[in-house]
Amino acid sequence: MDHFPTNWGRPRNDAFDAYGTYPIAQRPKNDAFSAGVQHTQQPIVTGTSVLAIKYKDGIMMAADNLASYGSLARFKDIQRLHAVGDNTVIGAGGDMSDFQYIQTILDELMIDEFTSGDHQTLGPAEIHEYLSQIMYARRSKMNPLWNSLLVGGFKDGQRFLAYVDLLGTTYSASTLATGYGSYIAQPLLRKAVEGYEDVLTEEEALKIIENSMRVLYYRDARSLNKYQVATITEKGVTISESRQLETSWSFAEGIRGYGAQTQ
Amino acid sequence: MFLTRSEYDRGVNTFSPEGRLFQVEYAIEAIKLGSTTVGIRTPEGVVLGVEKRVQSPLLESNSIEKIMEIDSHLGCAMSGLTADARTMIDHARVTSQNHAFTYDEPIKVESVTQAVCDLALRFGESVHDEEAMMSRPFGVALLIAGIDELGPQLYHTDPSGTFVRYDAKAIGSGSEAAQSELQDKWHKQMTLKEAQILTLRVLKQVMEEKLDQHNVQLAQVTQAKGFEILDETKLKEVIEGM
Amino acid sequence: MPDMVSIAQPIQQSFNPYTENGGTILAIAGADFSVIAGDTRQSEGYNIQTRYAPKVFRLTDKAVLAVNGFAADGNMFVKKVRQRLEWYRHAHAKDMPIRAIARLIQTMLYARRFFPYYVYNILGGIEEDGTGAVYSFDPVGSYEREACRAAGAAQSLVQPFLDNQIYFKNQTPAPGTSFPAHLPLQTVLSLVIDSFTSATERHIEVGDGLEIYVVVAKGSTSAQGLQNLRGVQELTATDDGERVFVVRRELKKD
Repeated sequence: MDHFPTNWGRPRNDAFDAYGTYPIAQRPKNDAFSAGVQHTQQPIVTGTSVLAIKYKDGIMMAADNLASYGSLARFKDIQRLHAVGDNTVIGAGGDMSDFQYIQTILDELMIDEFTSGDHQTLGPAEIHEYLSQIMYARRSKMNPLWNSLLVGGFKDGQRFLAYVDLLGTTYSASTLATGYGSYIAQPLLRKAVEGYEDVLTEEEALKIIENSMRVLYYRDARSLNKYQVATITEKGVTISESRQLETSWSFAEGIRGYGAQTQ
Repeated sequence: MFLTRSEYDRGVNTFSPEGRLFQVEYAIEAIKLGSTTVGIRTPEGVVLGVEKRVQSPLLESNSIEKIMEIDSHLGCAMSGLTADARTMIDHARVTSQNHAFTYDEPIKVESVTQAVCDLALRFGESVHDEEAMMSRPFGVALLIAGIDELGPQLYHTDPSGTFVRYDAKAIGSGSEAAQSELQDKWHKQMTLKEAQILTLRVLKQVMEEKLDQHNVQLAQVTQAKGFEILDETKLKEVIEGM
Repeated sequence: MPDMVSIAQPIQQSFNPYTENGGTILAIAGADFSVIAGDTRQSEGYNIQTRYAPKVFRLTDKAVLAVNGFAADGNMFVKKVRQRLEWYRHAHAKDMPIRAIARLIQTMLYARRFFPYYVYNILGGIEEDGTGAVYSFDPVGSYEREACRAAGAAQSLVQPFLDNQIYFKNQTPAPGTSFPAHLPLQTVLSLVIDSFTSATERHIEVGDGLEIYVVVAKGSTSAQGLQNLRGVQELTATDDGERVFVVRRELKKD
């Protein structure tokens, strides 16, 4: 007899019968043949950094439009920011096919919640928690969704900004950056934002973001000078059209000693 | 009376229009055919007593087992279809051991009683294409005695899965007379010794044979020694002291 | 001629489901109180991910759990422990005693023996007999009750200090005197703060913020004077008698 009441009323599952108390009626799901199932072992088409900061009215997030195939700049018009409902934006670095899969999951989730008809909508905190559980569950199956994600939002007068990645690691801070941005942009963002979260205007925030994106474009070989900015405020979500970065390379003329110069 | 019942008394999971489950009620009737069983709670511990019907002089009376240990701090006496009690006590024992393994503490008396009662209503249940585990309700009632952080306690369970806590309780064929006797004689500050004697007196009243150490069994749960079944020598001493 | 073909072997690079997120935790048991503390920095490699990610969690009014190691595992583990505590409360109509929580944590950790939660747990609180308790665990569930324990990135810096100051290791009492078996709360709090300021100085993964939980037994006098401590907040939720406080302090952020 099964002495565990939580199992009562459920169909028995031989795959979970760790102590072999049932005769095996069918082949368990985790046998030698399960190796035939392919799990993601590395990202293929990838996006680079995502940046986000808190400012007076909400959250500002930015990511460029590039999806790389190794060192090849493969797709130059990919959107890496995605609105989930009216209060949340997620931005992704890492594998773009996994990210697009995440988008479909979250869009379905929002529809499911809408059809329940309770006039309650999931906010950024709930979406981040849900996403974290998915990411952690997938890493625990050794089949991760290969992304670093930022979740930003504004709901019920509250700003929300948090991170989750392929390991299910989560954290929250007033400035966040994924990938290369965590090395290059995060120090700049912290210096500009920490302590000023409640006073920074949208214009000032945009300036900080734009400047950080420019530095990233100068320093990150897998980045692009075409990017989008999302803001999430009391008024809702806006994701800008793609915008161009102003860059100047004239300083390169004077650099000596790296390449094949004649003198 | 039986005419109206006949429509609804076959299926174990069909209510009658009056809102009754006849098979469960019949199971409760079955207990009234069982031998008398008594339990008494005192501040010192709980006493359990059963009548053993020795139907033949050739029967080995010490092979009749109606009081069983669940754990070192838990005992159980039964009346009715005693074979059914094996399944319940098996479950109680596993639940108790599991609790001790997981939480490094003895399970509470109420919790183990609840676990047994969870089982009692599982008749007629089946999942998908699997066979139902039990085809009918249990035909046995239990008196579960034990000691935990809330002190000595006595619980009564019946085939409907209901459980109630008692200061003193009698079940089985002689239960009506026995219960009113308990109501008369039980008092708050009873000693364990007094409880043993009251148990035997109550049994003696309702038994057809003359009570001796072969046709009754006595057990107790105390703080100091936990659950123990009194052996024939000890039992004889108590009987002589009646 | 040397065999040139077999030199380059294919290397299967597989996904690593773990990482280390730094930080340090510690707990000290007193006669009728228990102190459980942790810094709030979360890092990966040389990156500070956030300056505020709690590692210490109030479970009940008599038990506090500190979790250190892989943060995602830690958060999930705490979530599952809390779920089990709630089920237990529903099933048995009482809060789980700390001794039972300790055993439960062992069974939960050991259940994942072959895909462990990569976390070091320290459980602090008040035993049913009213004494202060600290239980420490390894990632697969080995555990014991102790008077004090440090774990995490700066364990090797803090534990020897505690051995010296709590167990009086390598000290000899003055002739005719003996060392106390338990220290008063004020002394313990000072030791905790010193442990963390020192660890912050010498370990790059420790710093930013400090959270010190204090669990005080029913009717204990240790709670007196705690209220006017700087940065203190009471978290007691029931009127069972035990009281829980948290003291929040800043640590250096460099």
